[in-house]
Amino acid sequence: MGRPLDESDLIGRAQRGDTHAYEELVYAHQGIAFRTAYVIAGNAADAEDAAQDAFVKAWRALGRFREGAPFRPWLLQIVANEARNRRRSAGRRAHLALRAATEQPSGDAAPSPEASLLSAELRDALLAAVNELPEDQRTVIALRFFAGLSEHEVAEALGLPEGTVKSRSARALERLRESYD
Amino acid sequence: MTELERALVALGRELDIPPEPDLRSRVRERIERRVRYRRAAVLALAVLVVAVGIALAVPPARSAILRFFHIGSVTIERVDTLPAARERSLVAGLGPALSLRHAEKSSGVPLVLNAPKPRRFYAQPGLIAAVLHYRGKSVLLAEFQGDQMGLTKKFVSPGTSVEPAPIGSFGVWLEGGKHVLTWQGASGEIRQMERRLAGNVLIWAQGNRTYRLEGSLNKAEMLELGRQITR
Repeated sequence: MGRPLDESDLIGRAQRGDTHAYEELVYAHQGIAFRTAYVIAGNAADAEDAAQDAFVKAWRALGRFREGAPFRPWLLQIVANEARNRRRSAGRRAHLALRAATEQPSGDAAPSPEASLLSAELRDALLAAVNELPEDQRTVIALRFFAGLSEHEVAEALGLPEGTVKSRSARALERLRESYD
Repeated sequence: MTELERALVALGRELDIPPEPDLRSRVRERIERRVRYRRAAVLALAVLVVAVGIALAVPPARSAILRFFHIGSVTIERVDTLPAARERSLVAGLGPALSLRHAEKSSGVPLVLNAPKPRRFYAQPGLIAAVLHYRGKSVLLAEFQGDQMGLTKKFVSPGTSVEPAPIGSFGVWLEGGKHVLTWQGASGEIRQMERRLAGNVLIWAQGNRTYRLEGSLNKAEMLELGRQITR
Protein backbone atom coordinates (compact mmCIF):
# COMPACT_ATOMS: atom_id res chain seq x y z
CA MET A 1 0.00 0.00 0.00
CA GLY A 2 1.43 3.38 -0.97
CA ARG A 3 1.79 6.33 1.38
CA PRO A 4 -1.21 8.66 1.64
CA LEU A 5 -1.01 11.53 -0.81
CA ASP A 6 -0.13 14.89 0.65
CA GLU A 7 -1.96 18.04 -0.35
CA SER A 8 0.47 19.11 -3.07
CA ASP A 9 0.22 15.62 -4.64
CA LEU A 10 -3.58 15.87 -4.57
CA ILE A 11 -3.48 19.35 -6.11
CA GLY A 12 -1.09 18.17 -8.82
CA ARG A 13 -3.34 15.24 -9.66
CA ALA A 14 -6.45 17.41 -9.61
CA GLN A 15 -4.74 19.86 -11.96
CA ARG A 16 -4.27 16.95 -14.34
CA GLY A 17 -8.01 16.26 -14.21
CA ASP A 18 -8.20 13.64 -11.42
CA THR A 19 -11.64 14.22 -9.88
CA HIS A 20 -11.02 11.64 -7.13
CA ALA A 21 -7.99 13.60 -5.94
CA TYR A 22 -10.07 16.77 -5.94
CA GLU A 23 -12.78 14.99 -3.95
CA GLU A 24 -10.21 14.36 -1.23
CA LEU A 25 -9.33 18.05 -1.20
CA VAL A 26 -13.03 18.88 -0.86
CA TYR A 27 -13.31 16.47 2.06
CA ALA A 28 -10.30 17.98 3.80
CA HIS A 29 -11.50 21.58 3.49
CA GLN A 30 -15.29 21.47 3.40
CA GLY A 31 -15.59 22.07 7.16
CA ILE A 32 -13.67 25.34 7.21
CA ALA A 33 -15.19 26.35 3.87
CA PHE A 34 -18.73 25.93 5.19
CA ARG A 35 -17.97 27.66 8.50
CA THR A 36 -16.31 30.59 6.72
CA ALA A 37 -19.28 30.93 4.37
CA TYR A 38 -21.72 30.65 7.28
CA VAL A 39 -20.22 33.42 9.42
CA ILE A 40 -20.24 35.73 6.38
CA ALA A 41 -23.61 34.83 4.84
CA GLY A 42 -25.41 34.18 8.12
CA ASN A 43 -27.61 31.28 7.03
CA ALA A 44 -27.08 27.62 6.27
CA ALA A 45 -28.61 27.46 2.78
CA ASP A 46 -26.53 30.34 1.44
CA ALA A 47 -23.41 29.02 3.17
CA GLU A 48 -23.85 25.58 1.64
CA ASP A 49 -24.42 27.00 -1.85
CA ALA A 50 -21.48 29.37 -1.47
CA ALA A 51 -19.13 26.60 -0.35
CA GLN A 52 -20.28 24.28 -3.11
CA ASP A 53 -19.94 26.94 -5.82
CA ALA A 54 -16.54 27.89 -4.44
CA PHE A 55 -15.26 24.32 -4.76
CA VAL A 56 -16.51 24.13 -8.35
CA LYS A 57 -14.93 27.50 -9.22
CA ALA A 58 -11.69 26.49 -7.52
CA TRP A 59 -11.60 23.35 -9.69
CA ARG A 60 -11.98 25.46 -12.82
CA ALA A 61 -9.25 27.82 -11.61
CA LEU A 62 -6.80 25.09 -10.57
CA GLY A 63 -4.74 25.71 -13.69
CA ARG A 64 -3.85 29.14 -12.32
CA PHE A 65 -3.05 27.86 -8.82
CA ARG A 66 0.60 28.53 -8.04
CA GLU A 67 2.52 25.32 -7.38
CA GLY A 68 3.65 25.01 -3.77
CA ALA A 69 1.29 27.74 -2.46
CA PRO A 70 -1.04 26.84 0.42
CA PHE A 71 -4.43 25.69 -0.83
CA ARG A 72 -6.57 26.75 2.13
CA PRO A 73 -6.21 30.57 1.93
CA TRP A 74 -6.63 30.44 -1.84
CA LEU A 75 -9.82 28.41 -1.47
CA LEU A 76 -11.14 30.57 1.36
CA GLN A 77 -10.79 33.68 -0.77
CA ILE A 78 -13.14 32.11 -3.32
CA VAL A 79 -15.49 30.97 -0.54
CA ALA A 80 -15.56 34.43 1.07
CA ASN A 81 -16.33 36.06 -2.29
CA GLU A 82 -19.19 33.68 -2.94
CA ALA A 83 -20.62 34.17 0.55
CA ARG A 84 -20.37 37.97 0.38
CA ASN A 85 -22.05 37.99 -3.03
CA ARG A 86 -24.95 35.99 -1.63
CA ARG A 87 -25.27 38.21 1.40
CA ARG A 88 -25.26 41.33 -0.79
CA SER A 89 -27.78 39.97 -3.26
CA ALA A 90 -30.07 38.97 -0.39
CA GLY A 91 -29.83 42.59 0.80
CA ARG A 92 -29.58 41.74 4.49
CA ARG A 93 -26.99 41.64 7.22
CA ALA A 94 -25.75 38.34 8.54
CA HIS A 95 -27.18 37.76 12.00
CA LEU A 96 -25.51 35.03 14.02
CA ALA A 97 -27.37 33.29 16.83
CA LEU A 98 -26.50 31.02 19.73
CA ARG A 99 -27.35 27.33 19.77
CA ALA A 100 -30.55 26.53 21.59
CA ALA A 101 -28.65 23.88 23.56
CA THR A 102 -26.38 26.60 24.93
CA GLU A 103 -29.33 28.29 26.50
CA GLN A 104 -30.50 25.00 28.07
CA PRO A 105 -27.38 22.86 28.43
CA SER A 106 -27.82 19.11 28.76
CA GLY A 107 -26.64 17.57 31.99
CA ASP A 108 -24.09 15.30 30.22
CA ALA A 109 -22.06 17.90 28.42
CA ALA A 110 -19.33 19.45 30.50
CA PRO A 111 -18.79 23.08 29.56
CA SER A 112 -15.50 23.87 27.83
CA PRO A 113 -13.00 26.05 29.74
CA GLU A 114 -13.72 28.93 27.36
CA ALA A 115 -17.48 28.49 27.65
CA SER A 116 -17.27 28.61 31.39
CA LEU A 117 -15.73 32.07 31.03
CA LEU A 118 -19.03 33.42 29.79
CA SER A 119 -22.22 33.83 31.67
CA ALA A 120 -25.40 33.59 29.63
CA GLU A 121 -25.94 37.31 29.98
CA LEU A 122 -22.46 38.19 28.88
CA ARG A 123 -22.71 35.81 25.94
CA ASP A 124 -25.92 37.41 24.74
CA ALA A 125 -24.54 40.91 25.14
CA LEU A 126 -21.31 40.08 23.34
CA LEU A 127 -23.07 38.40 20.43
CA ALA A 128 -25.50 41.29 20.11
CA ALA A 129 -22.54 43.67 20.03
CA VAL A 130 -20.84 41.60 17.30
CA ASN A 131 -24.03 41.58 15.23
CA GLU A 132 -24.22 45.36 15.56
CA LEU A 133 -20.69 45.99 14.30
CA PRO A 134 -20.23 47.64 10.90
CA GLU A 135 -20.20 44.90 8.26
CA ASP A 136 -16.48 45.15 7.46
CA GLN A 137 -15.52 44.87 11.15
CA ARG A 138 -18.07 42.15 11.87
CA THR A 139 -16.70 40.03 9.02
CA VAL A 140 -13.13 40.32 10.30
CA ILE A 141 -14.15 39.37 13.87
CA ALA A 142 -16.33 36.49 12.66
CA LEU A 143 -13.61 35.03 10.46
CA ARG A 144 -10.89 35.53 13.07
CA PHE A 145 -12.67 34.22 16.18
CA PHE A 146 -15.72 32.24 14.99
CA ALA A 147 -14.23 30.56 11.91
CA GLY A 148 -10.81 30.29 13.53
CA LEU A 149 -8.73 31.83 10.74
CA SER A 150 -5.39 33.46 11.42
CA GLU A 151 -5.03 37.18 10.72
CA HIS A 152 -3.04 36.29 7.62
CA GLU A 153 -5.79 33.96 6.40
CA VAL A 154 -8.46 36.60 7.06
CA ALA A 155 -6.45 39.06 4.96
CA GLU A 156 -6.11 36.52 2.15
CA ALA A 157 -9.77 35.52 2.28
CA LEU A 158 -10.97 39.11 2.10
CA GLY A 159 -8.29 40.21 -0.34
CA LEU A 160 -7.09 42.89 2.08
CA PRO A 161 -3.64 43.90 3.31
CA GLU A 162 -2.86 42.37 6.70
CA GLY A 163 -2.52 45.88 8.15
CA THR A 164 -6.12 46.67 7.21
CA VAL A 165 -7.30 43.49 8.90
CA LYS A 166 -5.34 44.41 12.03
CA SER A 167 -6.79 47.92 12.17
CA ARG A 168 -10.36 46.74 11.53
CA SER A 169 -9.91 44.09 14.17
CA ALA A 170 -8.54 46.64 16.67
CA ARG A 171 -11.44 49.04 16.08
CA ALA A 172 -13.97 46.22 16.42
CA LEU A 173 -12.39 44.92 19.65
CA GLU A 174 -12.47 48.42 21.08
CA ARG A 175 -16.22 48.62 20.46
CA LEU A 176 -16.82 45.14 21.82
CA ARG A 177 -14.84 45.90 24.97
CA GLU A 178 -17.49 48.43 25.87
CA SER A 179 -20.10 45.65 25.88
CA TYR A 180 -17.85 43.13 27.56
CA ASP A 181 -16.44 45.23 30.41
CA MET B 1 -4.73 36.68 23.64
CA THR B 2 -6.78 39.05 25.78
CA GLU B 3 -9.73 38.00 27.90
CA LEU B 4 -12.11 39.53 25.36
CA GLU B 5 -10.49 37.56 22.55
CA ARG B 6 -10.78 34.33 24.56
CA ALA B 7 -14.44 35.17 25.21
CA LEU B 8 -14.99 35.61 21.46
CA VAL B 9 -13.41 32.22 20.75
CA ALA B 10 -15.72 30.69 23.37
CA LEU B 11 -18.70 32.46 21.84
CA GLY B 12 -17.79 31.05 18.43
CA ARG B 13 -18.06 27.52 19.85
CA GLU B 14 -21.55 28.21 21.08
CA LEU B 15 -22.91 29.69 17.89
CA ASP B 16 -25.76 27.99 16.12
CA ILE B 17 -23.70 26.84 13.16
CA PRO B 18 -25.25 23.78 11.50
CA PRO B 19 -23.06 20.71 11.03
CA GLU B 20 -21.02 20.91 7.85
CA PRO B 21 -22.74 19.26 4.89
CA ASP B 22 -20.80 16.66 2.90
CA LEU B 23 -20.26 18.48 -0.37
CA ARG B 24 -18.15 15.82 -2.10
CA SER B 25 -20.82 14.09 -4.17
CA ARG B 26 -22.47 17.31 -5.38
CA VAL B 27 -19.16 18.99 -6.22
CA ARG B 28 -17.96 15.88 -8.00
CA GLU B 29 -21.20 15.58 -9.96
CA ARG B 30 -20.94 19.20 -11.14
CA ILE B 31 -17.29 18.85 -12.06
CA GLU B 32 -17.83 15.61 -13.95
CA ARG B 33 -20.79 17.12 -15.79
CA ARG B 34 -18.50 19.94 -16.86
CA VAL B 35 -15.73 17.53 -17.86
CA ARG B 36 -18.23 15.51 -19.93
CA TYR B 37 -19.56 18.70 -21.53
CA ARG B 38 -16.06 19.87 -22.44
CA ARG B 39 -15.16 16.47 -23.89
CA ALA B 40 -18.36 16.52 -25.93
CA ALA B 41 -17.61 20.06 -27.12
CA VAL B 42 -14.05 19.11 -28.12
CA LEU B 43 -15.35 16.03 -29.94
CA ALA B 44 -18.02 18.08 -31.72
CA LEU B 45 -15.41 20.61 -32.79
CA ALA B 46 -13.13 17.85 -34.06
CA VAL B 47 -16.01 16.31 -36.01
CA LEU B 48 -16.84 19.73 -37.47
CA VAL B 49 -13.24 20.31 -38.53
CA VAL B 50 -13.08 16.89 -40.17
CA ALA B 51 -16.46 17.46 -41.86
CA VAL B 52 -15.38 20.82 -43.24
CA GLY B 53 -12.08 19.31 -44.35
CA ILE B 54 -13.87 16.50 -46.16
CA ALA B 55 -16.36 18.94 -47.70
CA LEU B 56 -13.56 21.16 -48.94
CA ALA B 57 -11.82 18.15 -50.44
CA VAL B 58 -14.86 17.18 -52.53
CA PRO B 59 -15.33 19.60 -55.46
CA PRO B 60 -19.19 19.78 -55.49
CA ALA B 61 -19.39 20.31 -51.72
CA ARG B 62 -16.45 22.66 -51.75
CA SER B 63 -18.09 24.71 -54.50
CA ALA B 64 -21.30 24.99 -52.50
CA ILE B 65 -19.44 26.19 -49.43
CA LEU B 66 -17.24 28.56 -51.36
CA ARG B 67 -19.94 30.01 -53.57
CA PHE B 68 -19.49 33.51 -52.21
CA PHE B 69 -17.04 34.85 -49.67
CA HIS B 70 -14.60 37.64 -48.90
CA ILE B 71 -10.93 37.70 -48.11
CA GLY B 72 -9.97 41.18 -47.00
CA SER B 73 -10.92 43.48 -49.86
CA VAL B 74 -11.35 40.62 -52.33
CA THR B 75 -14.71 39.04 -53.07
CA ILE B 76 -14.97 35.68 -54.76
CA GLU B 77 -18.31 34.75 -56.26
CA ARG B 78 -19.54 31.77 -58.21
CA VAL B 79 -21.96 32.70 -60.99
CA ASP B 80 -23.91 30.67 -63.51
CA THR B 81 -22.73 32.68 -66.47
CA LEU B 82 -19.33 34.28 -66.78
CA PRO B 83 -19.24 37.90 -67.92
CA ALA B 84 -17.67 38.34 -71.33
CA ALA B 85 -13.90 38.51 -71.07
CA ARG B 86 -10.78 37.75 -73.05
CA GLU B 87 -7.12 36.91 -72.54
CA ARG B 88 -5.16 40.06 -71.80
CA SER B 89 -1.88 41.08 -70.26
CA LEU B 90 -1.47 40.61 -66.50
CA VAL B 91 -1.26 44.37 -66.05
CA ALA B 92 -4.20 45.28 -68.29
CA GLY B 93 -6.33 47.94 -66.71
CA LEU B 94 -3.77 48.91 -64.10
CA GLY B 95 -2.58 52.06 -65.84
CA PRO B 96 0.88 53.11 -66.93
CA ALA B 97 4.11 51.73 -65.46
CA LEU B 98 5.51 53.92 -62.66
CA SER B 99 8.56 54.05 -60.44
CA LEU B 100 8.14 52.56 -56.96
CA ARG B 101 8.06 56.02 -55.38
CA HIS B 102 5.36 57.25 -57.74
CA ALA B 103 3.33 54.07 -57.47
CA GLU B 104 3.35 54.20 -53.65
CA LYS B 105 2.39 57.88 -53.70
CA SER B 106 -0.34 57.38 -56.28
CA SER B 107 -1.84 54.29 -54.60
CA GLY B 108 -1.30 55.36 -51.00
CA VAL B 109 -0.05 51.83 -50.34
CA PRO B 110 3.59 51.22 -49.30
CA LEU B 111 4.73 48.05 -51.04
CA VAL B 112 5.57 44.95 -48.98
CA LEU B 113 8.00 42.86 -51.00
CA ASN B 114 10.82 40.90 -49.40
CA ALA B 115 12.31 39.87 -52.73
CA PRO B 116 14.31 41.55 -55.50
CA LYS B 117 12.19 44.47 -56.68
CA PRO B 118 11.30 44.94 -60.34
CA ARG B 119 11.69 48.33 -62.00
CA ARG B 120 8.08 48.91 -63.00
CA PHE B 121 5.06 49.26 -60.75
CA TYR B 122 1.36 49.95 -61.25
CA ALA B 123 -1.05 51.88 -59.09
CA GLN B 124 -4.73 52.50 -58.54
CA PRO B 125 -6.28 54.10 -55.46
CA GLY B 126 -5.71 51.60 -52.64
CA LEU B 127 -3.83 49.15 -54.85
CA ILE B 128 -0.19 48.70 -55.80
CA ALA B 129 1.01 46.04 -58.22
CA ALA B 130 4.14 44.73 -59.89
CA VAL B 131 5.10 41.89 -62.19
CA LEU B 132 7.64 39.57 -60.58
CA HIS B 133 9.67 36.83 -62.23
CA TYR B 134 9.84 33.63 -60.25
CA ARG B 135 11.06 30.23 -61.37
CA GLY B 136 11.18 31.56 -64.92
CA LYS B 137 7.53 32.68 -64.99
CA SER B 138 5.79 36.04 -64.73
CA VAL B 139 3.58 36.56 -61.70
CA LEU B 140 1.43 39.58 -60.96
CA LEU B 141 1.61 40.74 -57.35
CA ALA B 142 -1.18 43.06 -56.22
CA GLU B 143 -1.49 44.44 -52.69
CA PHE B 144 -4.64 46.09 -51.33
CA GLN B 145 -4.72 48.25 -48.26
CA GLY B 146 -7.85 47.99 -46.09
CA ASP B 147 -11.09 48.07 -48.03
CA GLN B 148 -10.23 50.89 -50.41
CA MET B 149 -10.26 48.72 -53.47
CA GLY B 150 -12.77 46.09 -54.47
CA LEU B 151 -11.78 43.14 -56.60
CA THR B 152 -14.37 40.65 -57.73
CA LYS B 153 -13.36 37.30 -59.07
CA LYS B 154 -16.13 35.42 -60.80
CA PHE B 155 -15.81 31.91 -62.16
CA VAL B 156 -18.12 29.24 -63.46
CA SER B 157 -16.13 26.38 -64.87
CA PRO B 158 -16.66 23.17 -62.89
CA GLY B 159 -12.97 22.56 -63.44
CA THR B 160 -12.03 25.53 -61.27
CA SER B 161 -11.05 24.43 -57.80
CA VAL B 162 -11.18 26.76 -54.83
CA GLU B 163 -9.40 25.54 -51.74
CA PRO B 164 -8.00 26.96 -48.51
CA ALA B 165 -4.31 27.85 -48.58
CA PRO B 166 -2.08 27.88 -45.47
CA ILE B 167 -0.81 31.44 -45.63
CA GLY B 168 -1.50 34.64 -43.67
CA SER B 169 -4.60 34.78 -41.49
CA PHE B 170 -6.68 33.23 -44.28
CA GLY B 171 -5.75 32.21 -47.78
CA VAL B 172 -7.42 30.72 -50.84
CA TRP B 173 -6.02 29.03 -53.91
CA LEU B 174 -7.95 29.14 -57.22
CA GLU B 175 -6.82 26.91 -60.04
CA GLY B 176 -8.05 25.54 -63.36
CA GLY B 177 -11.02 26.26 -65.58
CA LYS B 178 -12.00 29.69 -66.77
CA HIS B 179 -12.47 32.51 -64.31
CA VAL B 180 -12.82 36.19 -64.81
CA LEU B 181 -11.23 39.04 -62.94
CA THR B 182 -13.00 42.36 -62.53
CA TRP B 183 -11.43 45.39 -60.90
CA GLN B 184 -13.90 47.71 -59.24
CA GLY B 185 -13.66 51.21 -57.85
CA ALA B 186 -13.61 52.18 -54.21
CA SER B 187 -16.31 53.41 -51.82
CA GLY B 188 -19.25 51.80 -53.51
CA GLU B 189 -18.49 53.12 -56.98
CA ILE B 190 -19.41 50.41 -59.44
CA ARG B 191 -16.79 51.56 -61.90
CA GLN B 192 -15.53 48.67 -63.93
CA MET B 193 -11.87 49.06 -64.74
CA GLU B 194 -10.97 45.86 -66.50
CA ARG B 195 -12.29 42.42 -67.10
CA ARG B 196 -10.08 39.59 -68.24
CA LEU B 197 -9.54 35.87 -67.98
CA ALA B 198 -7.24 35.09 -65.08
CA GLY B 199 -4.64 32.43 -64.38
CA ASN B 200 -3.93 30.52 -61.16
CA VAL B 201 -4.43 32.80 -58.19
CA LEU B 202 -3.35 32.82 -54.55
CA ILE B 203 -5.18 35.35 -52.36
CA TRP B 204 -4.48 35.85 -48.68
CA ALA B 205 -5.12 38.33 -45.90
CA GLN B 206 -2.39 39.37 -43.52
CA GLY B 207 -2.79 42.27 -41.09
CA ASN B 208 -4.65 45.13 -42.73
CA ARG B 209 -3.63 44.06 -46.19
CA THR B 210 -4.81 41.64 -48.87
CA TYR B 211 -2.30 40.06 -51.22
CA ARG B 212 -2.99 38.54 -54.60
CA LEU B 213 -0.58 36.58 -56.79
CA GLU B 214 -1.56 35.52 -60.29
CA GLY B 215 0.38 33.49 -62.83
CA SER B 216 1.05 30.01 -64.09
CA LEU B 217 2.94 28.72 -61.01
CA ASN B 218 1.51 25.72 -59.20
CA LYS B 219 0.13 25.99 -55.67
CA ALA B 220 3.34 25.00 -53.86
CA GLU B 221 5.41 27.44 -55.89
CA MET B 222 2.90 30.24 -55.37
CA LEU B 223 2.80 29.62 -51.61
CA GLU B 224 6.60 29.63 -51.53
CA LEU B 225 6.65 33.00 -53.30
CA GLY B 226 3.82 34.41 -51.16
CA ARG B 227 5.59 33.52 -47.92
CA GLN B 228 8.80 35.02 -49.22
CA ILE B 229 7.05 38.31 -50.05
CA THR B 230 5.65 38.78 -46.54
CA ARG B 231 8.52 37.15 -44.64
